[in-house]
Amino acid sequence: MSGGHLEARRGRGAAVLAAVVCALVACSNDPYPPGDEGALVYYSSFVDPPRTLDPATAYSSRAHAVTGAVYDTLLKYHYLKRPLELIPGLVESLPEVVDLGEGRSLYRFRLREDLLFHDDPCFELGGEGRRTREIESADVAYQIARLADPEVGSPVIEPFSNVLGFMDFAEALAERRGADPEFAALRAHEQYAAIGGMAGVRTPDRYALEIELARPYPQIVYWFAMEFTTPVPWEAIEYYDGEEGRPRFADHPVGCGPFQLTVYDKQARWVLEKSENWYGVRHPEWRAPAAVYPSDGTDEQRALGLLDRAGEPLPLIDRVEVRREKESIPRFTKFLQGYYDGSGIAKESFDQVIQDGALSPDMVDKGVFLSRTIEPVVFYLGFNMDDEIVGSADGEKSRKLRQAMSLVIDGEEFLRIFTNGRGMAAQSPLPPAIYGYDADYENAYRRVDVERAKQLMVEAGYPGGLDPSTGEALRLVFSSYNTTTAGLLQYQWYTQAWRQLGIDVEIEATNYNQFQEKVRRGALQVFEFGWGADYPDPENFLFLFWSEMSRVRHGGPNETNFSNEEFDRLFVSMKTRPNGPERLAEIRRLIEIVEEEAVWIPIFHRETYALYHGWIGQSLDYGISIPTYQFRSVDPALRTEKRADWNAPITWPAWLLLFAFVAVVAPGIVTYWKERQ
Amino acid sequence: MGAYVLRRLGYGVGVALGVLFLLFVLFFTVTAPDDIARKALGEKAPQVAVEQWKANHGYDRPLWPWQDWDDNLLFDHYTKMLTFDFGLSDADDAPIMDRIQAGMGPSLSLTVPLLFLGLIVAIPISLLVAFFRETYIDRMGVFICVLAMSVSTLLYIIGAQFLIGKILRWYPISGFDADPLLLPRFLALPIIVGLMSGIGGDVRFYRTVFLEESARDFVRTARAKGAGEARIMSHHVLRNALIPILTRVVLAIPFLFTGSILLEAFFGIPGLGSITVDAIRANDFSTLRTMVFIGSLLFVLGQLATDLSYGFVDPRVRFE
Repeated sequence: MSGGHLEARRGRGAAVLAAVVCALVACSNDPYPPGDEGALVYYSSFVDPPRTLDPATAYSSRAHAVTGAVYDTLLKYHYLKRPLELIPGLVESLPEVVDLGEGRSLYRFRLREDLLFHDDPCFELGGEGRRTREIESADVAYQIARLADPEVGSPVIEPFSNVLGFMDFAEALAERRGADPEFAALRAHEQYAAIGGMAGVRTPDRYALEIELARPYPQIVYWFAMEFTTPVPWEAIEYYDGEEGRPRFADHPVGCGPFQLTVYDKQARWVLEKSENWYGVRHPEWRAPAAVYPSDGTDEQRALGLLDRAGEPLPLIDRVEVRREKESIPRFTKFLQGYYDGSGIAKESFDQVIQDGALSPDMVDKGVFLSRTIEPVVFYLGFNMDDEIVGSADGEKSRKLRQAMSLVIDGEEFLRIFTNGRGMAAQSPLPPAIYGYDADYENAYRRVDVERAKQLMVEAGYPGGLDPSTGEALRLVFSSYNTTTAGLLQYQWYTQAWRQLGIDVEIEATNYNQFQEKVRRGALQVFEFGWGADYPDPENFLFLFWSEMSRVRHGGPNETNFSNEEFDRLFVSMKTRPNGPERLAEIRRLIEIVEEEAVWIPIFHRETYALYHGWIGQSLDYGISIPTYQFRSVDPALRTEKRADWNAPITWPAWLLLFAFVAVVAPGIVTYWKERQ
Repeated sequence: MGAYVLRRLGYGVGVALGVLFLLFVLFFTVTAPDDIARKALGEKAPQVAVEQWKANHGYDRPLWPWQDWDDNLLFDHYTKMLTFDFGLSDADDAPIMDRIQAGMGPSLSLTVPLLFLGLIVAIPISLLVAFFRETYIDRMGVFICVLAMSVSTLLYIIGAQFLIGKILRWYPISGFDADPLLLPRFLALPIIVGLMSGIGGDVRFYRTVFLEESARDFVRTARAKGAGEARIMSHHVLRNALIPILTRVVLAIPFLFTGSILLEAFFGIPGLGSITVDAIRANDFSTLRTMVFIGSLLFVLGQLATDLSYGFVDPRVRFE
């Protein structure tokens, strides 16, 4: 090896060593590279990566945190109005609905013209040098066809099966693929076209889209506010196949939303950047309702500062930086250091952050503010109505037993013990922010009254909880899918409450699949479960009691298998009726039936506590899993100043350590040296 | 020696096959294919979607050969692993090999410096403690080592994150960035924790080895010849203690590739340990079996390499 080469290697080695030493010595806990101090960036974190970003299959809040920003939808929700209200997104106006008779209906959408997909190399498949193209109604029709495609495996087949010809299309596709290898080798969009498309999805012209429903299902419009029906370019599906170094479409979304995913390292980090192709950025003059910060908020929202940016074009930030944090303590510490702009509250730090239901003085001094949202979610204890003892077969007797069991479960106490007070004790299946929710409604069987419960037990034929057929305490089985210690503590709390009535309830906690199997077979008595809204309509909660949705008989989500003629009749009517006094009256009656029958013991509606630093503008959460990045605002100068204040390293212990090290090692070296002499 | 290597490799294959069988039995004793599907699709997924997922991923087949001789999951499990066809993750359909390749860099960037720094720190301390044997320095050293070994790694992690990351604010409390200028900043804390949690055991082990060597005849001879204690420790004792040191190092090498589960999870390092934890949490059988299979192969090869290395370091060792 020549001397020059050796010197060059030594030089490189020294440079690397110097870089490492400099990086270590220049103490800083800043996890970000320099250069973003003045940028309009929102910093956040994620725990686990999404399974997929394919809008046909992504069905989790962690996936929607990305897909909701990358894929735009035909309809959107008004940012400030509660209950949530639909507004036009990619379309010019809300769909025109035409009643075709015999339960059939037609939804006419018209896409805005000059909408573009994000820039992406996949569009070269449609012509050399192309980086994007205009969005057409055929792209929406293509995505709906993907929902039906068995190879895609979408989890939302059931609601879309109301679209005329949806299931026929799926069957024809599978059949043709099995029978004709040449057909199976075609590109997906060519296959869809070759079998004639879906009867109920039509594109009369480049921008018009018609959806024909075979059955009444007015809630279909809400699915057009979700990414399941976003326009998807066929080029992206064909190009991102995971071959020859290309990522899979599930990891490389090509959308048309306000943000484009520019970095996606599932294990560590993802970055969303403002898309210059988004119609809100390209055409601010349109003042499109979903591309401008709304001005029509309430006085309360104005007082909170939620209307400070009213009328401004969206998005208000340029970039979203999201880093992976698996553990809650580092995540929360980084928030306190100012490296994340928002955070939940780590369980371990709850008492430090929240005192007497409000932010602690330390948090207030830091300029942190708290955003509380009651989610459209309900947790409940359910009774299997097919069961011989607690079910409907025993008529009045079992009804009174269920009512008695409901009367001794204290929702408020549950929240105090198990959720740090986060949540709202539930009176009915309907959570706030859902049409039909009545804040003044009180369920007669959801206020604790042990004496009345005991009386009901007597009327049910179980005086003191004694089962006359055995002469011993009535024995029931409580089933759950939560086998953690925390879960078991909750169940013991339930069983202790029922013990006041003399009922002996055995806890049977299994894994989720075994629990599902029991639900499917109807082999349980009392169980714990929860439901979160897909869309903000009471139908999405009350259908959990509709006999057509019975789990045992129809495989639907009615886990209790409740069946009641009056309920069914009213539900079908309420489902198709527009919001108004008549619908409200029907909802009220439906809730009364559920209350009187005590099919559920509604426990609570979950509440999220989110903390934000003072440099982040006030914001509102939708409650359902839709990201709100485009509405977030940031003051980067204040953030930089606060980060510097909060994170100046304390270096004297390092010097002390160095001194101690020298004091220990130096005598040793001197001794060794002397000995060598 | 060739016969010895072949025989040991044969044992290794047997061990790997056994590990694969145990993994299959244990996994499917507590988890059904429906569980894997539900984890992948989400709790709200209807049964029809679960069935479709199982069909698309091959989990609609029976588990055991006696249920269907030609087409069963156990056969498929062995075929795929033994042909190194790791396939796609059950959690997100991503190629597992790509994920392993991506995770190896972050894992090695943590474990390799940790191994070498551990040696650099532990050996001199052990020599020092052995040098002062039977004095208060030795007794204090052993006491501190036992204390250090008794503390849970989790406590070191939380303590270091609190003290160094939060109070002193020297380094980021967690995170990872492959940028060479930022990487040392992110690795400093996990390496400090790794050193602290491992040093007690290492020092005690090396001290014992050094003390054993110190009592040998050649050391007494060196001392009789008038060699200084420091020279005896560095030239005679250390050199002759290389076999046990080498054993420990070579045994550790395979695990450099599998990463450190706790450190990676708590410090947000996207390495192979982190991937393994994710696979367990997601019921991702495909990824989990791959990681276990690779781990078992590396262990077997590590054992073999250790045995062979004896022969190179000490010519008296013969392979039969």
